[in-house]
Amino acid sequence: MKKRTLFASALLAGGAILGTAAVAQEQLPTHLKELLELGMHPGHSFVDEGREMFHKPGPNGKSCATCHGQDGVKLEGAYAKMPRYYKDIGKVADIDLRILACMTKYMGYDKNDKKFMKKFNKWSGPYRVPLASYVASLSNGQEINVQLNHPEEKRMYKLGEELWFMRVGARDFSCGICHTVLAGKRIRLQGLPDPVKQKVYTHWPAYRFGSDRMWTMEDRVRSCWKAYFLYVKQWNEKKDWVKKPPPYSEWVIALELYMKKAANGGTIEVPGLLR
Amino acid sequence: MKKIVIAGAVAGLGLLVACQPAAQQTEAPKKEVTAQKKKLSKHEKFKIALENQDKYQKACSNPVQLVPEGIDIETFKKEMLATVKFPEGGVVGKNIARGEKLFGDPKKGGKSRRGNCYACHCGDPQIIACGNIGPSLRGYGKRGIDPKETYIRIYNSWAVNPCSVMPRLGYHGVLSPEEIADIVAYMHDPNSPLNK
Repeated sequence: MKKRTLFASALLAGGAILGTAAVAQEQLPTHLKELLELGMHPGHSFVDEGREMFHKPGPNGKSCATCHGQDGVKLEGAYAKMPRYYKDIGKVADIDLRILACMTKYMGYDKNDKKFMKKFNKWSGPYRVPLASYVASLSNGQEINVQLNHPEEKRMYKLGEELWFMRVGARDFSCGICHTVLAGKRIRLQGLPDPVKQKVYTHWPAYRFGSDRMWTMEDRVRSCWKAYFLYVKQWNEKKDWVKKPPPYSEWVIALELYMKKAANGGTIEVPGLLR
Repeated sequence: MKKIVIAGAVAGLGLLVACQPAAQQTEAPKKEVTAQKKKLSKHEKFKIALENQDKYQKACSNPVQLVPEGIDIETFKKEMLATVKFPEGGVVGKNIARGEKLFGDPKKGGKSRRGNCYACHCGDPQIIACGNIGPSLRGYGKRGIDPKETYIRIYNSWAVNPCSVMPRLGYHGVLSPEEIADIVAYMHDPNSPLNK
């Protein structure tokens, strides 16, 4: 029995060798393909949830729509230019950090309220992931156009490039070793994409059926670091494993900026659907 | 936590009993101790983790990724080879079963986070879910390779291929010398599924 399932999964993933986005579609299980044909993308429920949240007033009575217009009319195309430098927070922000800053600065949510932050960070929470999916979807059909005008943007881009090729941790990994040098090969049956050359950013945030949830690029990048086996003193799986960088930190946003700039010219199609 | 409370209590007692200058003296080192015990923030931890990059990793952190920069390849190899520690019982271990488990337990579909060889290499023909990053290891034991060389490659692959994709498993302590020796035994054993 086990062997049979193994063989079946091997057949299913056989297409992964080519490692292109089109192949990712091929890998979709039948029930998801059927859903797509019916026009029912599992990620759309997150977008809908985000639309509702967008119009819901925060503690001080203001909603996202108060500033950004009904149905986010003023935000159309905004996601295509992110991450970018924002004067009001004084740093380069990705969509996750931008949403957090808006909610805490203008809508009356408290950044020091641990309960709120926990809810915000959580992927299944009502704020970050649905709002990011919704706001990103407002730029659907537009071309990614990230520019490096502000000195901070230039600095962050450079940091992102440096981090991309930085080999570190107990596994001597870097982003580039798997996603530039080995792109097209397989880790087990999982094809390795090249997020820089293939403009994969066009379909993020994406719904990933492997984990049955919506991921923003912030989630994706942070989870990648788990494979590095980073440590503080000496590698120890149980006692000393620095799994992820803190959310909304410079390291994450710098890598997002590096990848998204590489995707310039690609047409945004959110939410994506991935393995 | 409890220790700090006790230490505080002791220091408090000292304050009551001793005269002023003595109390000041005991207070100074106490502060240092609490500073050391203070938990690092996630931010600090990640920063340190990145700063832990060694000079060899740094040499490999260029866009080519597979060729060291700023260090001669022969020197690189020599210095890496010097880090290899050998187990007392020799490079071929006795616990072949443990070697198999570390290589990737076939009962668990080849899964083992420790060795995780199947992520990049194929080996046991029963394990179909194997990567194609490294060369296939099928029939490895029949190739006439010196087990010592196998050991070195697993312990510190950069002693053979500088900046290789293969993690330096022994160098970083992901696997102990004894564990690597067991993997070597599994790979060279004529009865191993790799060699059948």
